[in-house]
Amino acid sequence: MVQYWTAILTEAAIFGVLALGIDMIWGWAGDFDLSAYAYFALGVYVTMILTIGKPSPPVEYILGWHLPYLLAVLISVVVVVAFASLIGAVALRALREVYFSITTLGAVWAIYYLVENFTPLFNGYNGLSGLVDPMGGGLSYNAYHYLFFGFCLLVLLLAYLVVMRLSRSPFGRMVRAVRDDELAAAVYGRNVFWTKYRTYLTGAALAGLSGSLFAAYIGAFNPLDWRPTEIFVLYAAILVGGRGNPRGVVLGSFIVYVGFVELTRYIPSPSARPELGPALRQILIGLLIILMLKFRPGGLIPERLGTDDSRRRWSTGWLHPRPRASVKIPEASTPLSVESSDS
Amino acid sequence: MAANLTHHHTRGCRTTFRQERIERRNFTHSPCSRLCYGHFQLVAASFLTTFFWLGSGSEQTRGVRSVRGDMNIFWISVGSGIAVAAILALSAVAFTLEYAVSRVVNLAHGEILTIGAYAAYVGENNFHQNLYVCAVIATVFGALGAMALNFSLIERFRNQKPLSTLIATLGASLILQNVVLIGFGGASVSYSFAQGSILHVGPFLWTVLTIKVMVSAVVVAVLIYLLLQKTRLGKALRAISQNRELAQVSGIPARLVVMQTWAVAGAISGFAGFLYGETIGTITPTVGNGFLLLSITAAVGGGLGRPYPTLGGAVVLGLVMSIASTYTSSAYQLVIAFGFLVVMLLVKPNGLFVRGRISTVRA
Repeated sequence: MVQYWTAILTEAAIFGVLALGIDMIWGWAGDFDLSAYAYFALGVYVTMILTIGKPSPPVEYILGWHLPYLLAVLISVVVVVAFASLIGAVALRALREVYFSITTLGAVWAIYYLVENFTPLFNGYNGLSGLVDPMGGGLSYNAYHYLFFGFCLLVLLLAYLVVMRLSRSPFGRMVRAVRDDELAAAVYGRNVFWTKYRTYLTGAALAGLSGSLFAAYIGAFNPLDWRPTEIFVLYAAILVGGRGNPRGVVLGSFIVYVGFVELTRYIPSPSARPELGPALRQILIGLLIILMLKFRPGGLIPERLGTDDSRRRWSTGWLHPRPRASVKIPEASTPLSVESSDS
Repeated sequence: MAANLTHHHTRGCRTTFRQERIERRNFTHSPCSRLCYGHFQLVAASFLTTFFWLGSGSEQTRGVRSVRGDMNIFWISVGSGIAVAAILALSAVAFTLEYAVSRVVNLAHGEILTIGAYAAYVGENNFHQNLYVCAVIATVFGALGAMALNFSLIERFRNQKPLSTLIATLGASLILQNVVLIGFGGASVSYSFAQGSILHVGPFLWTVLTIKVMVSAVVVAVLIYLLLQKTRLGKALRAISQNRELAQVSGIPARLVVMQTWAVAGAISGFAGFLYGETIGTITPTVGNGFLLLSITAAVGGGLGRPYPTLGGAVVLGLVMSIASTYTSSAYQLVIAFGFLVVMLLVKPNGLFVRGRISTVRA
């Protein structure tokens, strides 16, 4: 039972990181991105090919190195960001809202069919298999899983703190301002494209990171594991928790993952109809998305804007030491003259 | 809306307040960003070239490559392109009609096609494989499905942002797809209509069934034209697509007309789903979903919300896809479709057959 819960919670933690990334793109910047699951998958693939070693003949994939896990994570995040920078450049340049979503929908299916059919890249339809071992071996099965769970929680915590910090920083407020009114933000001197682009790349980096974690969690990965429709679960999680609010997003991904896994466990799935359970699960997710959008679009913990100085208890301001009171800020000695020099 | 606004921008007229707003909306196109724009087109081009390079290197393509010079292959691929375009045109026109009256990018559109295809499959088993009865059944169930979708979802989300409606239709797509999956199982089912003999028509190579499909598609397209131009419903539909509130205060029963439009669009897509299933022979619960992206690409490529440009976009996309996939591999059809979509959105975001300038496009 403990092993079972460890497995579920590990998965929830990994997808929590992914949800934080997607929430930056959708919740903060307002770009409904459907290709984020491809970044996650790319993270898994790249981490695997960097760590599981050379392929044996019928199987083929590129590279096939034996790098240490942490280095592989770093490289795969870089690769994912580089890839996202291409799609982001195309999709964010002049396209917004519905047109942006259509473009990313096209992108994710194109990537999906490319990976599925072009075998030299990631072994196509059959996918990759091999153990990615972050701890370097020598641990018992249980010890490994408990340790890995702890590792995932740690990564989730770090990601949460960084995202929370970003969310309340001037950058986070700027992203929200651009989302709410691009014209006004541009008038106040913000570069709309660059703001959205940076948010997009940060979100993609988090997606790649969660992909790297997932690579160590599973032993095999093929295109059936990342059908682009899987991303709806994450959007359901974000909607339930609270779009744009990192705290809500983490809560939502735990609720949806743990809740849905637990709920669908009790749906009978007779051997003659193996598709019944997963199909009902998908239907429930669809219903959840529609009902949340209609009746509670803010989610359980709605987004709150502002600098949050009044709620010090929950803020992560301690990460950034404030200037101490003893430091004197020099007064402006010469008041700025109103008259311009050309008069 | 910005796309519509810029479309009204005519040269030579006095600068009005509204026009100033339009100008300001295009703030992203200062001289500097014009320079950057070329840069991004370059990025997109290299991205696509990589795709095609990857595509041309695969195992299956090497055999085809040797006959690249053969004109016959080219004309046969044009012929199959026309056949694909015929079905695509119907699906895309239905999609564009839905957008025209409800301003919604209906991502559950593919599921209406699936409903039509499966209704025809059930009909085929119960009505002695009569092609025409099956077509009628597919049409009726497509219309019912679309009306139910409009009533239960689209109208309820009417006052929300287009993006919210889009997400809601995604949820609906998930629900419908899995209801079909539960009802009919995940394994593919097949029609048993005869494909008929293969005919050489000029340089093209078609089966009898393909010709029937194309003829019926043309007939439906003519019917759509008559409906839009010659009937009261068509007139009301066009009025609503331009401004729903204004149409309503002029005495047009908007809610009813929208519902009727959805019924028409659903009928067309149900029929298109049947034609598609008939052409490829086997259907699965995801058959429509795979066709969705192509319909969107055709509609956006031609001009979203405008029926006739959409028809043109579908023909162009069908030909491009068919010819390009003949020389690479049919597995890369969607990759090619996406390339087409991106190029269209970058170069002519308002559509291939719609006059207008490049501007920031939002729904």
